[in-house]
Amino acid sequence: MATLSLRNLVKAYGTTEVLHSINLDVAEGEFIVLVGPSGCGKSTTLRMVAGLEEVTSGEIEIAGRIVNNLEPKDRDIAMVFQNYAIYPHMSVRKNIGFGLRTSKMPKPDKEARIDEVAAILGMTDLLNRRPAQLSGGQRQRVAIGRAMVRDPAVFLFDEPLSNLDAQLRTQMRLEIKKLHQRVGSTIVFVTHDQVEAMTMADRIVIMKDGHIQQVGTPQDVYQTPANMFVAQFIGAPSMNMLPGTVRDGRLNIASMTDIAFPFTAVDGYDITMGIRPDDLRIGGEGTPLFEATVSVLEPLGSETLVYADIGGHEVIARASGRTPPALGDRVTLVANPEEIHFFDTNTGEALR
Amino acid sequence: MFRYSNLTVAQKQVVWAWGFLALPILFYVVIRFYPTFGAMVLSFQDWNLLGDKSWTGFDNYAKLFADPVFWKVFGNTFLYLGIGTPVSLVISFFIAYHLDKVRFMHGFLRALYFLPFLTSAVAMAWVWRWFYQPVPIGLFNNFLASAGIPQFPFLNSTTWALPSILAPAVWAGLGFQIIIFMAGLRAIPQSYYEAARIDGVSNWTILWEITLPLLKPTLVFLVVFSSIGFLRIFDHVFNMTTNNPGGPLNSTKPLVLMIYDTAFNSFDMGYAAAQTVVLFLVLLTVSLVQLRIMRDR
Repeated sequence: MATLSLRNLVKAYGTTEVLHSINLDVAEGEFIVLVGPSGCGKSTTLRMVAGLEEVTSGEIEIAGRIVNNLEPKDRDIAMVFQNYAIYPHMSVRKNIGFGLRTSKMPKPDKEARIDEVAAILGMTDLLNRRPAQLSGGQRQRVAIGRAMVRDPAVFLFDEPLSNLDAQLRTQMRLEIKKLHQRVGSTIVFVTHDQVEAMTMADRIVIMKDGHIQQVGTPQDVYQTPANMFVAQFIGAPSMNMLPGTVRDGRLNIASMTDIAFPFTAVDGYDITMGIRPDDLRIGGEGTPLFEATVSVLEPLGSETLVYADIGGHEVIARASGRTPPALGDRVTLVANPEEIHFFDTNTGEALR
Repeated sequence: MFRYSNLTVAQKQVVWAWGFLALPILFYVVIRFYPTFGAMVLSFQDWNLLGDKSWTGFDNYAKLFADPVFWKVFGNTFLYLGIGTPVSLVISFFIAYHLDKVRFMHGFLRALYFLPFLTSAVAMAWVWRWFYQPVPIGLFNNFLASAGIPQFPFLNSTTWALPSILAPAVWAGLGFQIIIFMAGLRAIPQSYYEAARIDGVSNWTILWEITLPLLKPTLVFLVVFSSIGFLRIFDHVFNMTTNNPGGPLNSTKPLVLMIYDTAFNSFDMGYAAAQTVVLFLVLLTVSLVQLRIMRDR
C-alpha cells in the first residue's frame, strides 16, 4: 500500500506531445480508474508509472520516492496486462511464482505465498494446469495472481477485462472490486469502458487527448460533469445535448421552446443544455420541457428507451417498461430543473 | 449416369479437391515415388547403366558395410550434421536476436544477411575455394603471410578440410535461418517481455525461460530443415574439391558425393542405389528422432 503522485507529467514521442502535464494524487489504498477514448493517453500514463515508458518531463512518486529513473522491478509495482501475459509453456504455479523469481525469500516461503494467493483467487485446484487448459476468466485470475504474489505497493491494470466476454467481464469486475476491498492495495486501473470505471472506482480520472478532463468520485463525474466531454462520456445512453441561445434570460432551443436559464448571460450567448435520458421522462411530475414525437422505441424490459424528435433534434428519454408510448405519439417530456446541465457551447465548460 | 449437377455440395467439393490434387499426385508418383521405388529395387541388383540387370540379393549392402570408405563417409556425413546444424543455429539465432532489436537500417542489414542464401552454391564454393588457396593466391593465407603467421593448409589438411568446407555451407544457410528466427521472435507478444521486466528477472532468464521455449516450433522446424540440408551436403564439397573429390584421404567426402562417384564414375548403379537407400534411412531416422524429441509434451 502506498500513495502515488504524478506531477506535471509529460510524454512526447519526438516532437509529438501525447501527454500534456498530468497532475494526479492517488491516496493510499485508493482504487483509481483512468478512463477515456483510445488515444487519450491513459495507457501511456500507466506504462510510465510502470516504468515501461520513459518520462519526458515531470515526476512520478510512489510511496514518497521519485521513481522516474528506476527500473520497473525497483518501483514496487505489479501490472496486469490486457492479454494477460501469462506464459503458455509454464504451469499456473510457475506463472504465479514467476513474480517471485528475483525475491530472496526461501523456497518454502515462496511456495506458501503462491498457495496463499491461489487460495485467495480460488484456484488452488488449477495450480498444476497449463494456461491452455484454462478459461479466459481463469487466465485473467492467474495474471492477477502473478501480480499479487509480489505484494506490491501499487497494482496497475491495463484494460484487463477487454478480452473477456460481457458476462465474464461483469463477474471479474466484481471479483477485482472484492479483491481490492480485501487486500486494500492502491490500484490504478485503465479502461475505455465507462461502466467499468463507474462500478469499480473510488475516483475516476477522465482523460482526452492527453489532458485530464475531470477527477472525481463516480457520483461527482456523473452528477456534476466538468464539461461536455465528461457529460457525454459518462453514462449510457449518452447525455442529450441541445444547443441553444440565450434571449432575455431564457434559453431558446430549436426555436421551439424556452427554458428558464438560471445564470445571467448576455443575449445571443451560445449555451448547450444537457439532460440525461434517465432524467428525461414522459409525462409525470417535473417541469414540462418539450413537446416531442416518438420516432424509435427500444424496449429493455424494465424500461423503454424512447427516441423522440423535438423540432429537428433527437433526444432520448426513458419510459416505464409497462406503459411505453406508441410510435408517432405526441408526448410531453418533463424533467427536474436540478437535473438539467448547462454548458458554454464554445468552450464546452459546464456552467455552475 | 454421372452428372455433376446431381451431386451434393460436399461431393462437388470432393470432385474439385481431387481435380486440383490430381496433377501434384501424378507428378509425385511419376517423378518421385516411382524412381525411389526403382532405386530400392536396384539396390538388390547389379547394373552398369548399359548392360542387363542381374539380381544379387544383399551383396551390395554386404559390400557397403565391409567398405572402410563407406564408414569414413558415414562419419563425415554425421560430422557435417553434428557441427553444421548447432553452429548454424546458434549463429543465426544470435544474429536474429540482436537484429530484431536494431531499428537503424534494419531492412538493409537483413537483406545483407539474406543475400548469400540467394547466391548460387557453385559460385560461392569457388569463391571460398579461392579464399583457401595457399600463398600467393588465397586471400586468407595472404593475410596470414603478411602478418607473419605460418600458412594454414585449409583444404589440404585431413583435419581442417571438412570444417573449411562447412564454413561457407553454414554461411549460405544463415540468411534463411535468420529470417525464420526473426519471424518467430516477432510472433512473441511484447507484453511477455514487459511482464518479465516488471518481475525484474535477468535477460538470461528471459532468454532461456521465455524466448527459447516460445520459439520452440521455429526451432523444431529449423533443426529438422537444416539437418536434412547438412545430411545431403554435396555441391559445396564437390565444387571445392573438384581435383580431388572428397578431399585428402576422403576427409571431406559426404554420402551424397560417394553415391555420385559410385554411380557416375564407377557406373556401379546397384551399389550406388544401396548407398542411396542407406542415406534415405538415415534421413528418415534423424528427422523422426528430432521430431519426437522436440515434440510438445
